[in-house]
Amino acid sequence: MSDLLELRNVSKYFGNVTALEGISTSAAAGKVTCVLGDNGAGKSTFIKILSGVHHQSDGEYLLDGSPVNFESPREAREAGIATVFQDLAMAPLMSVWRNFFLGAEPQKGFGSFKWMDTKFAKRAAKIEMRKMGIDVRDIDQPVGTLSGGERQSVAIARAVYFGARVLILDEPTSALGVKQSGVVLKYIRAAAEHGLGVIFITHNPHHAYPVGDRFLLLNRGRSLGDFAKHEIDREELTRLMAGGAELETLEHELGTR
Amino acid sequence: MSDDTAVTAATEPARDERLAFRGPIQRLLLSPEIGALIGAVVVWTFFWGAGEKFGNVSTLASYLDVAAPLGIMAVAVALLMIGGEFDLSAGMMTGATGILVALMARSFMGDGASLWLAIPAAFIAAGCIGWLNGTLVNRTGLPSFIVTLATFFVLRGANLVFSKRLAGKVTVDGVDDADGYEFFRKVFASVHSKETFGLRDPIFLILCILGAALIAWSLLEQSLVRRAEPSAAALLVVAIGLAAAIVGLVVLHQTDGVGGNVLGSVLGGVGIIAAVDAFARWRYEPRDGDGTLSIAGSERQIALGVGLVALAVITIFAIDRKEQEEALTWLPSWGRVALGVAAAVAGLALAATFLTRSVRDEESQRTVSAAGWVRIVFLIGVIGLVTMVATLSLAQLVTMQAFRTLVAVILSAVGVLTLLRARGQVGTHSPRGQLAVGLLTSAAVVVLAFATRAGSGAERFRAGLFAAILLGAIGIAANTFVEAGQRKRKEADYEADKLGARLGYAGAGLLAIGFFVRLFFTGENFRISVLWWLLATAIATFVLLRTKYGNWIFAVGGNKEAARAIGVPANNVKVALFMTTSLAGCFAGMMIALRFTSVQSSQGLGEEFEYIIAAVVGGNLLTGGYGSAAGAAIGAIVMAMSQIGIPFAGWNQDGRFVFIGGVLLLAVLVNNFVRRKAQEAR
Repeated sequence: MSDLLELRNVSKYFGNVTALEGISTSAAAGKVTCVLGDNGAGKSTFIKILSGVHHQSDGEYLLDGSPVNFESPREAREAGIATVFQDLAMAPLMSVWRNFFLGAEPQKGFGSFKWMDTKFAKRAAKIEMRKMGIDVRDIDQPVGTLSGGERQSVAIARAVYFGARVLILDEPTSALGVKQSGVVLKYIRAAAEHGLGVIFITHNPHHAYPVGDRFLLLNRGRSLGDFAKHEIDREELTRLMAGGAELETLEHELGTR
Repeated sequence: MSDDTAVTAATEPARDERLAFRGPIQRLLLSPEIGALIGAVVVWTFFWGAGEKFGNVSTLASYLDVAAPLGIMAVAVALLMIGGEFDLSAGMMTGATGILVALMARSFMGDGASLWLAIPAAFIAAGCIGWLNGTLVNRTGLPSFIVTLATFFVLRGANLVFSKRLAGKVTVDGVDDADGYEFFRKVFASVHSKETFGLRDPIFLILCILGAALIAWSLLEQSLVRRAEPSAAALLVVAIGLAAAIVGLVVLHQTDGVGGNVLGSVLGGVGIIAAVDAFARWRYEPRDGDGTLSIAGSERQIALGVGLVALAVITIFAIDRKEQEEALTWLPSWGRVALGVAAAVAGLALAATFLTRSVRDEESQRTVSAAGWVRIVFLIGVIGLVTMVATLSLAQLVTMQAFRTLVAVILSAVGVLTLLRARGQVGTHSPRGQLAVGLLTSAAVVVLAFATRAGSGAERFRAGLFAAILLGAIGIAANTFVEAGQRKRKEADYEADKLGARLGYAGAGLLAIGFFVRLFFTGENFRISVLWWLLATAIATFVLLRTKYGNWIFAVGGNKEAARAIGVPANNVKVALFMTTSLAGCFAGMMIALRFTSVQSSQGLGEEFEYIIAAVVGGNLLTGGYGSAAGAAIGAIVMAMSQIGIPFAGWNQDGRFVFIGGVLLLAVLVNNFVRRKAQEAR
């Protein structure tokens, strides 16, 4: 199966600052690609290039094997690349169904006089979320009353429903507890099983390893490697992620005290 | 994709056992306008009881007249506020557009322009200023508070400069000399009145009965379990009950004597109760439970409720019924001061007990720290001061009559609510006990109705208030029969809820038409502005709740970045909202300019806050993302009632601002409280 999305040697410079250099990775339908990196590793720049906010300075961005050039996030979204940002996903005081259909409200009416089909929206939101295994108690309840994990889940279900092919998740688990993170990881897997290519950005190897099929490690704008799951085990991933040799030095220093 | 979803959406999702069923009343409590609605009823009742003139149709015309321009603006400001922004130039906009039209009509190109040119020009100018406000807010990222404050001052200055230079004074007149004045006056400021006609009251009554019946049916449909096989025998009782109710009403309408009134009320009341009860038995599942009569566990509450109602009755009779007599006149001035000080001391003592206790609890038995004591002393001081000022101003403001009304209303309300609560408690274990307590409550309310009737000096209490309280008693009795007899629904039933909602809308519509007929065909003058106001509210509500633009407005106010990220044109939405507000300002400005034919350059100064207050009273969140247009319209009524009601009650006109301040604070607190309670109930 060919890759849905591929980056070849992508670099991004802001003036004389190198944000990313020589990054290559790919995302296939039905697979989860994890992008791991500590703070300042270049994860945000990476997402912004993928979602069309920034344009890469160098290298190639391929979708379905052909190079693309997104001028705006809207173009990327229209090409089927949906991005779920950690805190920017929902309006907390709006109901679940209003959030679900925000920006793509189902309409009915005649001629140019159209109004929102609220009945359809409520039912469809409930059913679609159930398909993903998300069980919201009340479709009318404000999103703010949901837990953090449920909120991320609504955003994921929304992206799936609106025909996204590639789903980019920006640190969906970083603000969550252990149990909540587990819930979100389950939906990440569910989204992949729906045939989406998922790009899961995180700094937590323990979240990445169970769901990931492919791992890209970033450090200070450079790739530490792009591995398939069979090429790397959890310990190695954690070691690389934590700064490898640096951490060992630190352990050593602390140990001598 | 679309075919697929159409199929799946047609199948109803399975019921969710975790989702507690919300009855119609609870759903109503969840809506943002509930605080304003309660507030409007309370304020209206307050002024109705306080003064002789408030409450008739001509007062209604005068406060609707005040409410209409305020309401149009409040609705626009509410939309803007839901979108997360303010417009402080909204008030000045009414003056600026008015001045523009007046100046153009007077001295455009030397000899003045036609209004056909001036008024569209004013709308275009207003639109441009709104566009500018929105664009500046978007581009600069400054708070709209600052941007529109600047616009406010620019408009205020421009008004003065141009009216002084071109008209030579701060008031520009002569709008009525311009071409097209007659037409635009019809559009913006015409007065309408219709004389009464013979069938008016019967039509009103029939529509009210039908409307109330449909609403009652809607409530039953949404809260009870439908019976599998309706029992037809009960339908006969429904028919007999309805016939009795109608005969009772006719008797009431035709006779003036006490005998006729009593006969009519009893016949009507019993008829309504019997009809509701039989209808419920015909259509809905009976409740199971044993037949023993028991009020165990609620005796004290019942006694307390009855006692409070009795106290209310005594209050009504005990305090002199003379109207407009100032409270506490028998006290010399030092006596009032002493009373204030005493109240302050009492407040201090109360505050001291509560605060020290709460601080001790907080620090779990440990000694209170120095900072803790400072805080306590400070708070006690503030509370004492507030109590004193409140007591003193109450003594100055309130007449004896209003005082009595207040005390009686509070006592009876608390009493009846206590009884209703006891009814609910008893009902959990004994249907027959519930019936007994409910009928006792109903009887207490009947006594209250007769006490009000006998104890009131005012003529209109006899008809209006008496009938209203009596209707309340009938409602409680009918409701009690249903509560004790039928099983409550525990889960959502889509079909029944849909039918219930439709019945509710139909009933509300009939009531609205009925009241329109009753109030409009009175020979009183209503301005067309009221119609524009209702139209603006209806359009805004539709846009907000039923179109994608409304969804965008909520989203932009609730989380602008999220909305933008998902593809909502957030900046355009904000610009459109600012333009809507400015255009509404222009509309209100035209209503004023064409009505008074002259415009003051200070027109609208300070009103921007009234719009914001009306919107906030209406349940709109200051921080955006939540609210309602209908709430803002009701908020405007509350403001207008305070403005008209205070002088009508014979109080100091300047007390209005004190009152509005209190209403604002209270409304927001009630809104927050109700919202929290309703959220907890989920």
